[in-house]
Amino acid sequence: MTYAYFPGCKIPHHLPEHGQSVEAVCARLGIALLKPEFACCGYPIRHENRDASVYSALRNLAMAESLGHDLMTPCKCCYGNFQQARHQTGNDEKLKSRMRNLLDEEGLPWPEAVRVRHFLQVLDAERDAVAAAVAHPLELKVACHYGCHALRPENITHFDDPLAPTIFERLIAATGATPLNWELRLECCGYPLRGRDERISDLLMAKKLVSAQASGADVLATACTYCQLQFGRDEGRIPAVLFSQMLGLALGLAPGDLGLADAALSWLGKE
Amino acid sequence: MDFFSIGLALACLSAVCGTILRVRKWFTRGKAMAGSTHHGPRSLRWAAGLADLILLRRTRGGLRRRGHALLILGFLPLLFLHAMDGVVTRPLFAAYEPTLDPWQFLRNLFGLVSLAGLALLLWNRTARLRPLSAAQDWALLAVVGGILVSGFFLESLKIMSEADFTRMADDYFPEAESGELLALKAYWAAENGARFSVFLPTAPEMLEQGAELHEDRCAGCHSPTSSAFVSRSMAALPLSPAMADRGRAAFWYLHVGLAFLGLSLLPWGKFLHPLSTGANLLVRGGSRNSQAQNPPPARGLGLDACTRCGQCSLHCSVAPIHTVMGNADILPMDKLSDLRRHLDARLSPVETGILAEGSHICTECLRCTEFCSAGIDLQDLWMTSKQMLSKAGRAGVDGEIRKSTAGEWAREFASGRLGAIGGTGAGLADQAESFWGCVQCTTCTGVCPVVAVSEDPSRDLDLTPQQIMNLLRMGLKSQTLGARMVWSCATCYKCQEHCPQDVPVADILYELRQLGAEVLREKEGRS
Repeated sequence: MTYAYFPGCKIPHHLPEHGQSVEAVCARLGIALLKPEFACCGYPIRHENRDASVYSALRNLAMAESLGHDLMTPCKCCYGNFQQARHQTGNDEKLKSRMRNLLDEEGLPWPEAVRVRHFLQVLDAERDAVAAAVAHPLELKVACHYGCHALRPENITHFDDPLAPTIFERLIAATGATPLNWELRLECCGYPLRGRDERISDLLMAKKLVSAQASGADVLATACTYCQLQFGRDEGRIPAVLFSQMLGLALGLAPGDLGLADAALSWLGKE
Repeated sequence: MDFFSIGLALACLSAVCGTILRVRKWFTRGKAMAGSTHHGPRSLRWAAGLADLILLRRTRGGLRRRGHALLILGFLPLLFLHAMDGVVTRPLFAAYEPTLDPWQFLRNLFGLVSLAGLALLLWNRTARLRPLSAAQDWALLAVVGGILVSGFFLESLKIMSEADFTRMADDYFPEAESGELLALKAYWAAENGARFSVFLPTAPEMLEQGAELHEDRCAGCHSPTSSAFVSRSMAALPLSPAMADRGRAAFWYLHVGLAFLGLSLLPWGKFLHPLSTGANLLVRGGSRNSQAQNPPPARGLGLDACTRCGQCSLHCSVAPIHTVMGNADILPMDKLSDLRRHLDARLSPVETGILAEGSHICTECLRCTEFCSAGIDLQDLWMTSKQMLSKAGRAGVDGEIRKSTAGEWAREFASGRLGAIGGTGAGLADQAESFWGCVQCTTCTGVCPVVAVSEDPSRDLDLTPQQIMNLLRMGLKSQTLGARMVWSCATCYKCQEHCPQDVPVADILYELRQLGAEVLREKEGRS
């Protein structure tokens, strides 16, 4: 299996451990990642300019299309914006022709066949192989945080059942850990309001963390760069951990290869 | 006082004073960016920085790297051994004469190497960087190229010049009889490329006598001009002796004048980059990541170390956004230059708005920092300047909207000029179909997490999602554009997913923000 790997802008500086752990896990599972020089997915500019957002997304998809491989991203917001861009061009002929012209100018093809996959979807498709590769089952109770932009609106994102998704829990179970059902698992982390409305962003985050903590979980699992950046700001309530890092540990990878400092492993309990 | 002394003095004055002013700005600009943050001590890895500098480890691209390597290897020896021979070469080498080998040969070799390097850099800029290039980029190439080419012309004209021969003969062979002078001229014309206005004999015995006189009188200071292999081959140009004499004088002024011009322009723009970029590479100590605690002068130096190589802008993650929106300050190279002007308080309010927009569009992906051949910690500059601009009331579209109340915006948006913007009727918010199904059931408001964490939605958010849909349904779009609910939407799409009537609530809120941004661009004169 080979994918055009789309890490997204926030990984290199703000969350390098996400990229490091995703790549380490993929290497262990035999998932080959191609790394063309992608640009921004267009998610952040969507607030300001639709054409700029859609073009940013399509340009990356066109690059993956030229490579002949599906695109995989570990970020829910990048995933969501790719799906949005495709949906919008599919429903607006004028937009589509503007975008086609822009891609033509760069000599890029219209992205027809390329599929957008989130890291979780790629793993879920190989769930049995993932479970079989687990060398150190995790003895943890885990609250899964879904992340909005992959989940909703389902008619555009096609990620999972928007009201009762199970993909994350299935994968958590594959690592040997126990997924918990909890009240706010499908709610927003609050990151989209960072730098825009700090107060509401803080309130949304705190509310979720309190709920996750009350569920009795040992950790809150994330599978999105932005969600992890948001929950990573909080110290004390419940540790937020990237799923790629948890899976890496279950696969027997060294914490150092997953961007995990020894000091950050307190949640691993007795291990 | 002659042209040379006056020119040299003025050029040195300009270079020294200008450089002092530039260096002072490293401190003032660095301080302006630092604010009140505390900077801890940093450990510097000079060796890694030195290796970056000497080995051009950060200079990407074959053309650029080879071009720089050749230019540096050629130009530095010329600068020290030739241009500064009075203070370097002559004191160090007792028998130094510029017309003796190896100096004469080396001058041509280094000149040729420099020109080859410069040609590669010119090719690189013309073929790959033309759209990103500004006057100073071409000016630096022109001045350095002019110095090199005029140097070769000057030397070849000197070789040809009859006046120079006569002057030298008067000084060093004053007692020469006319027959001897004729023999010497014949020898120099035949062997060294000199040109004379009189007919010269070519008889072997005459040349032999000339050779002996040359050996006796000239050879102590003159190696055969053939070792000046570039200039001597140019001495085949079809010029009359009179033209050669006039050209020799003109090219002396041109060559020396261009050298003085280059020296005096040292503090201007990228002319300083051989110094500022080198210093920045040393200070960065080989680091390719961003360091959170750059002390103010290091930031100031970084701001000034740009070589305008364009790599940051060519590889920028938000370059596609620049393609659509056209704001030059979205791309790092132009943004850096405008950030300097902003720190010097030289940007107009409109230009500051453009800089703020570009700054807030940056996604902080680190790529420009990784690509920067000058090793500038651009990531740190962008993150800091974004905060600085926000604190100064330039917090992007969101910040501008929040400066006024929803009611104030409603009045403004309803007014003729701004109200006309985005009024194409093509948007979701303009189409009756979007709201046909809405039965005001308040599901969107009920599931909204932003509404849920607000103790008093009408105070915190002005309107709830369902109220916004209702106003739009009644054609009152201007009433909604400034509402906090629109701008504090978390984009979680719960409203849209849960709407029993398939109203695209979240998409409509996105559209309203996009429209608000467009209106602001128009209002601030950015579009």
